[in-house]
Amino acid sequence: MAPKYKLVYYDSKGRGELARLLFAAAEVEYEDYRFKEEDWPKLKGDTPFGQVPVLEVDGKPLAQSNAIARYLAREFGLAGKTAWDQAQVDMIVETMQDMGNPVIPIWLCKNEEEKAKLTKTYEEETLPRFMEEIQKILVANNEGKGFLVGDTMTLADLALFASIDWFAVAAKDPLGKFPKLQEFKDRIASCPKIAAWLEKRPKTEF
Amino acid sequence: MMPNYKLKYFNFRGRAELARLVFAVAEVEYEDIRFAVEDWPKIKPTTPFGQAPVLEVDGKPLAQSSAIARYLGKEYGLAGKTNWEQAQVDMIMDTMEDILTPMRAIHFCKDEQQKAELQKKYQEETLPNYLKGLETFLCGNNGGDGYFVGSELTLADLTFMHYTGQVEVFVPNPLAKFPKLQALRERVEELPKIAAWIAKRPKTLR
Repeated sequence: MAPKYKLVYYDSKGRGELARLLFAAAEVEYEDYRFKEEDWPKLKGDTPFGQVPVLEVDGKPLAQSNAIARYLAREFGLAGKTAWDQAQVDMIVETMQDMGNPVIPIWLCKNEEEKAKLTKTYEEETLPRFMEEIQKILVANNEGKGFLVGDTMTLADLALFASIDWFAVAAKDPLGKFPKLQEFKDRIASCPKIAAWLEKRPKTEF
Repeated sequence: MMPNYKLKYFNFRGRAELARLVFAVAEVEYEDIRFAVEDWPKIKPTTPFGQAPVLEVDGKPLAQSSAIARYLGKEYGLAGKTNWEQAQVDMIMDTMEDILTPMRAIHFCKDEQQKAELQKKYQEETLPNYLKGLETFLCGNNGGDGYFVGSELTLADLTFMHYTGQVEVFVPNPLAKFPKLQALRERVEELPKIAAWIAKRPKTLR
C-alpha cells in the first residue's frame, strides 16, 4: 500500500519546494500542509530539530530538506541510475546549498552599503563562478540538450530548477550569462508534470 | 577490482575527515593527498567547483564532502540498510552541518563585540537546542546506548563524532550536558579501526 505523505512547511517555496517538485514529477499524492507564520511557535516543538520542512511518512517524521529530497528521489526512481550517477546528483544538490548560502545574509543585511557590496560579490563573482561549472556539466552531458546527470530527469535537475528562484531573491538575473542553463530551466518548466504543478501551486513571493 | 581512490584536501581533518573515517572503517586503501595551502591556487582550477575535498575514483572526480561521504558510505555498507534508514542517516548528517555552519560564520566575524554576542548565543541556545534534539533522537533507538540509526555504525555516527570534534575547536566540552551523546562519541572513537586511524593520522589543529 502506498505510504501516506505529509509535507509540513511555510506557505512558501523556500526549502519545501524541492520535495513538492519531486511529488509532482512522480505524480504521487501527498498532503501539502502549509502553516501560517503565527502557528510556527506551536509546531516547532513537534519537529525533530525545531526546523521545517518535515516530511511525515505514515506518521514518522523526517527532517532536513535535502534528506527529504534524497529519500523521495530514491523512492520515485529519480535519484540517479547507478551509484556513481547518484553521487554526481548528490554533488549537484550539495553545490546548490553552497550557491544559496549567501542569500539569507544578504536579505537580512540592514546596512545599505554593506548589502550592496555583498550583492555585487554574489552577482558578479560567487554565483557566476558556480553557474559556469554547472553549465559545463550540463553541456558535457548530451550536449546540454537534456539533463544534468544521465539521460532522464533526476533530483539534480529539480534541485537546480528550484534553486534558481532562491538565488534570484538576492541576485538579479542569475542565468543572464548562461544561455544553456536558461534553456534548461525552460525545458524543465515545460515538462508536462512540472508545468501542471507550476500552474497549480500557490503563488508566493519566496 | 578495487577502484583507485585519490582523496585531495588540505592538511586538515576538516571536510575530508569523514571520507578518511569511512576508508578506515572499511579498511580500503586510498591515496590521502594533503596539499599545502600555497599550492591551492594551482590545484583549484582542476576541481569541479573550485573547492576541496575532491575524491577521484579511477580518475573521475567527485566534489562536495557530503556527496563523497555518502558515495563511499553506500559502497561500504555505512549508509543505512533501507531507504528510510538512509534518510535518517542523511538527516543526522545534515543536522551536524547546521550545527557547524554558524560556528564557522562566528569564527570569521570581524567585529569583536558582535562576535562575542554571537558566540554566547550559539553556546547557550543554538548548540544546546540541536544537541537536545540529537540526544532525543538517539534515545529513540535502543535507549540511546547503540547508534543513531539501526543496530550498526553508520555515517550518522561518524559524522557526529567528527563534527563534534570540529565544534570543540571553538566551544570547549560541547557534550558536557548530554551524557548519551558523550557516550556515543566515546563508543565510536574507541572502535578498533577508528582508534587506530585516530592514533595514526597526522595531528592537525582542525
